[in-house]
Amino acid sequence: MKWISCLAVCLLLIASCDKGAKSITLLAWSEYVPQKVIDGFEKETGIKVHYDAIDNNEALVQKLLSGASKYDVIQPSEYIIEQLAKLNKLAVLDHSKLPNLKNIGSQYMDMPHDRGNKYSVPYMTGTVGIVVNTEKVKEPIHGYRDLFHPKYTKRIVVLNDAREMVSWALNCLGLDVNEINPRSLAKAKPILADWVRLIRVYDSDSPKTSLSNGDCDLGVVWSGEAAKLWEENQKFVYVLPEEGTHMFVDSLAIPVDAPDVDAAHQFINYCLRPEISKLISDEFPYTNPNLQARKLLSQKQLDNPASYPKGEAKLGTFRDIGKASSDVDALITNLKSQG
Amino acid sequence: MTNGVSVSTLPRPGSRVWLLMLPLLVWVATFVIAPTVLLFIYSFCQRDELGQVVFTFTADNYSRLFEAGMWMVFARSIIYAGATTFLCILVGYPVAYFIGRSPSTQRQILLMLVMVPFWSSFVVRAYAWCTILSDGGLLNGFLASLKIIAEPLNLLYTPTAVMLGLLYTYLPFMILPIYGSVEKLDTSMIEASMDLYASPWQTYWRVILPLTWPGVTAGILLVFVPAIGMFAVTDLLGGARVPLLGNVIQNQFVQARNWPFGSALGIVMLVMFLATYLLCSRRGVPSSN
Repeated sequence: MKWISCLAVCLLLIASCDKGAKSITLLAWSEYVPQKVIDGFEKETGIKVHYDAIDNNEALVQKLLSGASKYDVIQPSEYIIEQLAKLNKLAVLDHSKLPNLKNIGSQYMDMPHDRGNKYSVPYMTGTVGIVVNTEKVKEPIHGYRDLFHPKYTKRIVVLNDAREMVSWALNCLGLDVNEINPRSLAKAKPILADWVRLIRVYDSDSPKTSLSNGDCDLGVVWSGEAAKLWEENQKFVYVLPEEGTHMFVDSLAIPVDAPDVDAAHQFINYCLRPEISKLISDEFPYTNPNLQARKLLSQKQLDNPASYPKGEAKLGTFRDIGKASSDVDALITNLKSQG
Repeated sequence: MTNGVSVSTLPRPGSRVWLLMLPLLVWVATFVIAPTVLLFIYSFCQRDELGQVVFTFTADNYSRLFEAGMWMVFARSIIYAGATTFLCILVGYPVAYFIGRSPSTQRQILLMLVMVPFWSSFVVRAYAWCTILSDGGLLNGFLASLKIIAEPLNLLYTPTAVMLGLLYTYLPFMILPIYGSVEKLDTSMIEASMDLYASPWQTYWRVILPLTWPGVTAGILLVFVPAIGMFAVTDLLGGARVPLLGNVIQNQFVQARNWPFGSALGIVMLVMFLATYLLCSRRGVPSSN
């Protein structure tokens, strides 16, 4: 009997909590929105935040479209925004409710995937680049061609991401990474086939692990991972490939069927505040597109070459490639299984 | 065996028995039959740009199975799973026999030791293997400190690591069913065999193995097919370098977002399971003839 009454009390508590307070549901990458930010928002507004975590863009799309639950704020990357917008899955943002949008640097606004920032605001940006363990690799590495060399056989870790890999090969060929068709894939194939033989590990979740424990000496990783490696030990040098590379723009957006559009705007505007955006940079050292927040960062953070790379590089964002994504995947799966 | 009561005189099950069966039937219908039918339907569908399933008939998903790359995946998956099963029998049978024949007080402890790994998350255990096998890891450090090796052995992210991981993961699934058979083994059969001047080897081959064979077949079913579908071990310990069938299927449902093709592969796995089942149940005891 005791436990029944206990349960009843618990249920009552849950019910009473849910009734009074407003809440929003956030569909975001695991380990990308600091707990401090969520706590601060809850405390200030009294709006409770439910954090539903995903590990990749594709899982985000799947959860969103399955319709099993409704989300107020989602965190897709640039090419996913374009795709969702095309299919009318995103709500048009009300810029009057987002006064802090002015803090975002102009170079991160009005980008090809979302002209006029109709559907999304940049959250964090970053690049895909090469990490070199300079204690083990003495030769200079400037780009993919230097990296994927037979002398580094089985010393390389790369992102386990078919689209990324294909884009590196297309960059080497000087082709547009967003023009995926049978012809461009056929050109990329022999290059990728050579690369696959050299790679020791494919890991998108934590590529820094195999570098920091010495299993690999070179890697093609997300810049945030590279930044953490550099913080750990400055022997890990970050290089933006000279052939050109992917700049990703992880953004915040509101689904078209969001239950509480107002609260969603409120949350996005909160994240755009300089002092809040700084908290995100502290934990996840990607490139902060919020220029006012950058002013609050320490010199050490700004000097991190992976977070804020110096020098010119050819950076490009990804666009939606539609059904071609399964051709890209088939190509890499085939190469891996033959390698 | 029949205790003097022939089967026909037993009361036939009435309609009320079906009522008792109802929960099971509902369970099977909802969680086995319905998903399988759905899988079958999906496997003939197409996908749209967002990766949603479109109900337009196509056989493309099945024709893709015959591409060269896919054949490699199937062949490699069967080899890996077959080797895992074989090693599991090789290692698991003696262990199961030992546990099954030991005094009942010890038996409980030994059985518990087999099951202890299940108390922690599988992913945590896989990462633990990474720590042990990596170039600067525990095993290499230990061997280096004993001056057995000069250069660290390349273990992690190799087929050896994958095999080790698979063996480690599935061994309990082989030990437990064999243990079940060994425990029921009638000692008087072995005594009879010995009395009739059978050598220990003959006793084992003609008496013990046939009597415990049902446990082995159950073990094969529990190990072989799941090992084909495994993707976490190949990702974590193999560095996601060589895709097995499980990895390809997982990829279709997550990254490639091609559910119809993933479903077709799922159907292939189902067929493989049926084939294994038929093979196991048909062959019976290897030495009975």
